[in-house]
Amino acid sequence: MSNFNAVDFDAPLTLVISTQGSFRLSACNKAAAGEGLSIGQLVTDARALCPGLQVLEATPEADARALRQLAAWATRYTPWVAPATGVNGIDGIFLDITGCAHLFGSEKELLTDLLRRLKEFDIAARACVTGTLGASWALARYGKGSSVLNRDAEAQALAPLPISALRLSDQTAEGLLQVGLKRIGDLAAVARAPLASRFGPEALMRLDQALGKASEPVMPQILEAPLRVRNAFVDPLVQTDAMVLAIEKLCAEMEVLLLERGRGARALKLTLFRVDGETATLEVGTARGTTDAAHLARLLAERLDQLSSDLDIGFGYDAAILDIPRTDALAASQVDLSADQKPFSGDLSSFMDRAGNRFGWARVQHVYPVQSHIPERAVMAQAAHVGPPSLDWAEEASRPAALLPCAEPIEVLAEVPEGPPKTFRWRKVAYRVSRAEGPERIAPEWWRAESASNGVGARTRDYFRVEDDGGRRFWIYREGLYGREATTPRWYMHGFLD
Amino acid sequence: MFAELCTMSNFSFLRGASHPDEMVITAAALGYSAVGIADRNTLAGVVRAHVAAKDAGIKLLVGSRLVTRAGFEIICYPQDRIAYGRLTKLLTKGNRRAPKGECHIDLEDVLEHSAGQVFIAMAPMMASLVLEEGFANHLARLAKACPDQTYLAQSFTYGRNDTKRLWELERLAARTRVPCVATNDVTYHAPGRRTLADVLTSIREHVPVAQAGFLLAANGERHLKPPAEMTRLFKDRTRALLRTEEIAARINFSLDELAYEYPDETREGYPTPQHALEALTEAGMQRRYPTGVPDRIKAAIKHELELVAGLNYAPYFLTVHDIVRFARSQNILCQGRGSAANSAVCYCLGITAVDPAQIDLLFERFVSAERNEPPDIDVDFEHERREEVIQYIYARYGRHRASIAATVITYRSRSAIREVGKAMGLSIDMVDALSRTTWGWSSGGIIADHVREIGLDPEDRNLALALELTREIIGFPRHLSQHVGGFVITESDLDTVIPIGNAAMPDRTFVEWDKDDLDALGILKIDVLALGMLTAIAKTFELLENHYDLPLELATVPVEDNDVYDMICLADTIGVFQIESRAQMSMLPRLKPRCFYDLVIEVAIVRPGPIQGDMVHPYLRRRDGTEEVIFPSKALETVLGKTLGIPLFQEQAMKIAIVAAGFTPAESDRLRRAMATFRKVGIIHEFNTKLVEGMVSNGYERDFAERCFKQIEGFGEYGFPESHAASFALLTYISCWIKHHYPDVFLCAMLNSQPLGFYAPAQLVRDAREHGVEVLPVDANLSNWDCSLEPSDGGSHAGPRAFAVRLGFRQIKGFRAEAGEMLTAARGSSFDSVRDLWLRTGLGKGALETLAHADAFRTLGLDRREALWAVRALGTEPLPLFRSAASVGAEEEVKLPTMPLGEHVVHDYARLRLSLKAHPMEFLRENFRREGHVTCADLKTIRAGRRIKLAGLVLVRQRPGTAKGVIFATLEDETGTANVIIWAKTFETFRKIVLGSKLLAVRGQVQREGIVIHVVSDHLEDRTGDMSQLTDEDRPRAMPRSRDFH
Repeated sequence: MSNFNAVDFDAPLTLVISTQGSFRLSACNKAAAGEGLSIGQLVTDARALCPGLQVLEATPEADARALRQLAAWATRYTPWVAPATGVNGIDGIFLDITGCAHLFGSEKELLTDLLRRLKEFDIAARACVTGTLGASWALARYGKGSSVLNRDAEAQALAPLPISALRLSDQTAEGLLQVGLKRIGDLAAVARAPLASRFGPEALMRLDQALGKASEPVMPQILEAPLRVRNAFVDPLVQTDAMVLAIEKLCAEMEVLLLERGRGARALKLTLFRVDGETATLEVGTARGTTDAAHLARLLAERLDQLSSDLDIGFGYDAAILDIPRTDALAASQVDLSADQKPFSGDLSSFMDRAGNRFGWARVQHVYPVQSHIPERAVMAQAAHVGPPSLDWAEEASRPAALLPCAEPIEVLAEVPEGPPKTFRWRKVAYRVSRAEGPERIAPEWWRAESASNGVGARTRDYFRVEDDGGRRFWIYREGLYGREATTPRWYMHGFLD
Repeated sequence: MFAELCTMSNFSFLRGASHPDEMVITAAALGYSAVGIADRNTLAGVVRAHVAAKDAGIKLLVGSRLVTRAGFEIICYPQDRIAYGRLTKLLTKGNRRAPKGECHIDLEDVLEHSAGQVFIAMAPMMASLVLEEGFANHLARLAKACPDQTYLAQSFTYGRNDTKRLWELERLAARTRVPCVATNDVTYHAPGRRTLADVLTSIREHVPVAQAGFLLAANGERHLKPPAEMTRLFKDRTRALLRTEEIAARINFSLDELAYEYPDETREGYPTPQHALEALTEAGMQRRYPTGVPDRIKAAIKHELELVAGLNYAPYFLTVHDIVRFARSQNILCQGRGSAANSAVCYCLGITAVDPAQIDLLFERFVSAERNEPPDIDVDFEHERREEVIQYIYARYGRHRASIAATVITYRSRSAIREVGKAMGLSIDMVDALSRTTWGWSSGGIIADHVREIGLDPEDRNLALALELTREIIGFPRHLSQHVGGFVITESDLDTVIPIGNAAMPDRTFVEWDKDDLDALGILKIDVLALGMLTAIAKTFELLENHYDLPLELATVPVEDNDVYDMICLADTIGVFQIESRAQMSMLPRLKPRCFYDLVIEVAIVRPGPIQGDMVHPYLRRRDGTEEVIFPSKALETVLGKTLGIPLFQEQAMKIAIVAAGFTPAESDRLRRAMATFRKVGIIHEFNTKLVEGMVSNGYERDFAERCFKQIEGFGEYGFPESHAASFALLTYISCWIKHHYPDVFLCAMLNSQPLGFYAPAQLVRDAREHGVEVLPVDANLSNWDCSLEPSDGGSHAGPRAFAVRLGFRQIKGFRAEAGEMLTAARGSSFDSVRDLWLRTGLGKGALETLAHADAFRTLGLDRREALWAVRALGTEPLPLFRSAASVGAEEEVKLPTMPLGEHVVHDYARLRLSLKAHPMEFLRENFRREGHVTCADLKTIRAGRRIKLAGLVLVRQRPGTAKGVIFATLEDETGTANVIIWAKTFETFRKIVLGSKLLAVRGQVQREGIVIHVVSDHLEDRTGDMSQLTDEDRPRAMPRSRDFH
C-alpha cells in the first residue's frame, strides 16, 4: 500500500478492497483508467500493467460516513434527504425536492446550485432530476450527464441504458443478460408475466420504480441530536465555586443523557458564555468511556482550577454548554451484590483521567511487555488512554526491573573467548567480580533494518549476572562474539539486579 | 573424541534447517568421530545421510527422535539390524494410527520396542529452573525399563540459566541412575542457517518473523561446533563428552545391512522361479512368433535367461509378468519400459510390445553382472484404470509386504516465495505478484529484474532478505507424498525395513523413502505408472472394434506403414503421442523418420540432454549426409554406431564415461545419480573435471568431452534412455497410425481421454475437421457422456465407412457425469421439450441451465437464450404430481433479442472450450485486415524474410529450459495456426503482454526451414480487449486460457 501523504493524485492511483484473500481494484482515478486499469481487476495484474501504480486501501465505511454527512448538509435544499443505497451499499444521495424547487427558482436552478456548491467542495458529482428515485439513480450513473428530465423524456432516456442501471442484484442482472435482455428498453418490451415467473419480482419492481409505476419514497436520514446540555444563569456567575456548582449540575444532566443512549464520554467540551459575548472553552479527555457525573465534574473543575489564573471572569458568565464530542459504547459492568461493602476499586482509570488531564496524556503511560529477546525492546510504553494496562507479565527474576536508559561502556578484564568478567571499571570506579553467571546469549534481530548496518544491535550480546565483592549485583554484557563478529568485543553495563 | 548424537535435519519438517548430507559432510569436516541423524518420528532423511557419510568417510548412526503424544522426546538408535526392525515397526505403528503426516506414539509403545535400542532423553527447552515434572517421571520410567540403554542429553543453550539447568539435569540423572551425555542438540549444520531456522519457525507457527517474538530462539547456537569448542564447553563434564563416543561405539548398525529380500515368487509346478520364467518365456515365444522363432531371438533369449539366472532376478521378472498378466485379464492396456523391459524375454512375456527384431538393444547394458544393479522395469497402464492394478498388488502381497514409495515434495520457487514472503511480512498481493514472476515449477528463485518489473524494489532490504531466504529454502523437503506408482515389495514384513505411513488417499500407504533412497540401498521397486495415451489408445481399440470391426492390440497394429511415416514427415502430428509438441513438430521435417528406429531417435532427440550437449545439429547433418560419419575413437564405434557417431541416449553418455573417460561402471552410475539432484553442485563439479580430463588424456577432443558432460548434465533431470524411447516410440507409431487411418476414431478417443497431451480439445477438433472429420455439436437428444461416433453423411473423409464425431456431455464445463447418466438413462427415443426433459430426467435446474448455456437444445429448436428462458420457467410451474394439461402452455409468447453469432462463439468457448460455429477471429478479421494483418494460412505463401503482422488466439506458450529464455507461442486464427518465436530480449520487453494476452498481435519476420514456418516477433500487442467486439455486452467474457509449458 502507498503512503497516503505521499500520494500523487495526478499519477495513476487506485483504491483496493480485499475479497477472499485477493486484492481487487474498487476505484481508479483518471490517470489509472488511462493506463487501462479497470474496477474489479486484481491488484497484481494492475501493477503489472502499470508499474509504480499507487495503491490505497478502500474504506467503504468511511465513504458511507462521508455520504451521510453530505446528506446532512444537503438538507439545505429539502428536509427529505437520504443516502442512496445501491447494489454495493451506500453510493450516493437522494433528495426529494418536491415542493422545494421553487425556493431556488426552478428544478434546473436548484440542480445548478447544488452542483456548483459541490464543486466548490472539490466533490465531483453527477445529479439528475427526474420523477423517480430509480430513474435518477440510473441516469446519474449511466446517462449522459447531469440533467433535468420531464416525465415523458424519462422512459426514452432509460431505454438504452444497461439493465444494471436498475439497481438489480448481480444474480438477477446476470440472468437477464443471459437471455439477452441487456437494456432497460429490452426489459420493458417483454411480457410481464413470463418475466416475473422466471426472474421473480425484483426486476419488474425496479423497472416499475424507475418508470414511476411503483412508488418508492425517500426515507429521510434522521440525524442524531448531539450530546449537549445547556444552562443559563439568572445572574452571571463570577465565582469559581458557583461555576463548579453549575458544572456539577450540567454533568448530572449529562449523565442521564449518556445512560439513555448507552454511551460513555471520552471527551468533554465545556463552553462558557460571558455577558459581553466572549466565550471560554474547557476541554478534557478520559481514558475510557464514563458516565459518572461526579467524575466528569471533577475533571472539569480541576481544569477550571488550572485555568483560573488565565480566565478573565469580567462581568461574569451567564450561560454554559456541555458537549460530548467523542463517546464509546458503554459496556455493562458487574455490580457487587453485597450491599454493605463498597465495591473494590482497583480501577485506575479515574486517577489516570485526572493525571492525564492535569499533566498531559503524553505523561501518563502504561508499560507493556513486548515479545523480544533484546532487553530494551522487551517493554514498550504507550499513552494510558489508548488502551487498558497489560497484566501479561512473566515472572522475571533474572533480569533487572529497570534498565539504564543507555547501556554504558565499561572496561572489563575477562577470559577469552567467552569467560565472565573478572574485574571491571564503571564510571571511573573499579569493581572486583566475586561471582558471575552466564553467558546468556542474545543474537541480533536479523530482520530489523539496523542489524544490517554495523550499528548497535548488529552484534550478538553475551549477558552476565555478576556480583562484586561488596555484594552489589550488576547486569553486564559483552557485544560481539569473540573471533566471529569482532576481534575486540566491547563491554557494557546495562542494569542492576536485586 | 566427540560424536554428535542429537541432530535434526530438514526432514524434521520446518524445524531442522539443514539437509542431512550437509549435516554429515560438515560433521566429517569438523573431525567428528561419528554423527547421528535423528529426525522427529521419521527415518525419511537417513538414506541421504547414509550415502553422504559413506562418501565422506564418517560413521553414521541411524535413528529417530521419538516424540510421544505427551511431548516426551527421546532419541532412539538401534544397535543392530533386529533393533532397527523394531524401530521401523514402532514408527509404522505410530504412523498408521495417525492421520497423514503425523505419528502418534506413546511411551508404552517405545518400551514395547525397546530391546536393543539406545535412548537419549531430551529435556524440554525452557527457561524455568525446575525441570518439568512430566519429563522426570517419563525419564524414570524409561530408565527403569531400559537400564544401561538410557542416557540423558545435556547441552549448552546459552539461555538464561544454563548452569542451573545443567545442574538440575545432573541431579535428575543421578536420581534416575541415567548417565548424562553431551550434545549441542543441533538443528542446523552451520551458524549461518540461524536466519533460515527462524523463518522455518515462523512458517510453522503461521506468524511473521517480526511478530514471532519468543517463538524464535534467542540465539543461533544450535549448529555443529568444532570438537575443541565442545571440549571447552564441557571441560567440567568430560565424562558426558566421552560418553558420546562410547555410545557411538555401541551402535553397530548400518543401512548397508538391510539385506533386501525379494518375494519368493515360486510358481506351482516349477522347482525354482528360474524354471518358471524359462517355461513362461518359451510359451510366450511360441505365441509371439507363430511362424517360427528367428535364430537371433532364440540366441538373445538364451543369453538373457542366463544373465537373469546368474543374478537371480527371475522373481522380479515373474512379479512384473504377473502384474501385466492381471492387467491383460482385465483388458487394461499396458506397456513396459525401462532398462530391462525391452528385452526379448519381456517381449515374450508380454511385458512390452516392442519387437526385439525391430530394435536391437543390448541386454547387458541394463542388467549387468558387474554392477550388481537391480533391473528396472516401469509399466505404464491406462491412467483411468491403474487403480485396479494397484489394488491387485495390495491384494496379492498384502499391505504388510507391498507399499508405494515416497516422493519428497520440496520447496520450489513459487511455494518458497509464498511461505518465506509471508514469514517476512510481505503483503499478500506482493507475494502473489512475486510468485507469478516465476515460470511453472522453476527452482531458480526469483530474478531481480522481474521484481523491478512488477513495480517492487529488489534493493529494499526486507525484500532482498526474503528473496535470499527464498533461494536458500528451495530444495528443502516440505512433506512426503506417495510416489506416482513405484511399488516396493518384500518377502518378509516391509515394516521391518522402512517405516510405512498413511497417504492422503484412503486405503493407500507409502514407505518413507523415495526412489533415489531405495535405489541407493539396492531395494527393488516396480513402477506401476499411469499413462494417458494408453487410455486413449485403449479407447481407440474399443471404437475400432465396435464401429469398424477391427480388433487390434499394441503388438498387432500394422508396422512400418509408409503412409503413416509420410504423415509424420509433414509434421501432421497434432494429438499424437510424444511428437506433437512445437519442438518435436519442427524437428520432424528435418529428421524425416522413415522407420521405427527413426521414431525412437525422434522421441529421444528433442530432450534437454542432446540439446544441451549440442548433439542435435551434428546428428541432423550426418543424417542428411552433409557431414561425414566419423567416430571419436575406435572404442566408441560400438557405443555410437547406431546413432551415426553422435551420442543421443542416456546409456550412450554413461558408456562414454566408462569407455572414454575411464570411469568404473559404479562411478558412471554415481555420476548419473548426482545429476538427478540439482543441488549437489560440488560433486558435479568434481565429476566434470574427472570426465573431461579423463577423456582428454585418452586422446579425445576437449570440445567433444565438454559437450558430452553437458549432455549428461541435461539428462540429469529428464534422463531419457534408449529403452524408454523405444517403448514410447511404439505408442507414438500406434497413435500416428490411428490418426492417419481413422481420424474420427482418434478424435473421439482423444476427447474422451482429456486432459491429455499438448493440445486443447479446440485444436484437436479443428485438426480433425481439417482432415475431413465431421464434428457434431453437443445435443441433449443426441449426445452421450462420452463423445461418440455417428454415421456420417456430410464428412469428406476418404474412408468409405467414416463416422462423424458427436461431442459428448463431458465437453460441457461444469456438467457432472452423474447428470449425464441420468439424462441418457431417461432419454428413450428423444425429449420433445425442455420441460419434458426436466420431468423425465429429474435433473436440477442448475444442470439444465448448464446444458442451455452449452447450446445443447438445438434439436428442440431452441438456441441458448431460448433454452435458458425455457429452463428459467421450470421451477414456477406446478409440481409434476399436480400437473395437468390446462396449466401448461397458457403463457404469452416472448420474442427474445437474437444473439449475434460472434456472441454465440464466445459463449461456446466459455462453456465448451471450443466452438463449431466459427472462429472468434473471423469476426475481427475485417479490422485486422484493415490494419494489415495477414492470416496464418497466408504464411504458407509469404516468402521468408518478409516482415508481417499477424494476430490470433494464444494457444500455447512454451519456454523450454534448454532454449535460453526463448518463448515459443502458438497463435490460432480462423485459417490455421502459426508458430511465433520470441527471443529472450524481446520477451523481457514485452513480458506482460506475452504472459497476459489471450489475443495477441505480433509483428515480425517470416522464417522458413523446409516446411516449418516461424514468425520471429520483435513487437507484440495485447488485443484481448478486441474480443468484446464479439458481443454487444460491455464486459469481456472468459476466453480459454492458453496452455503453458516449460
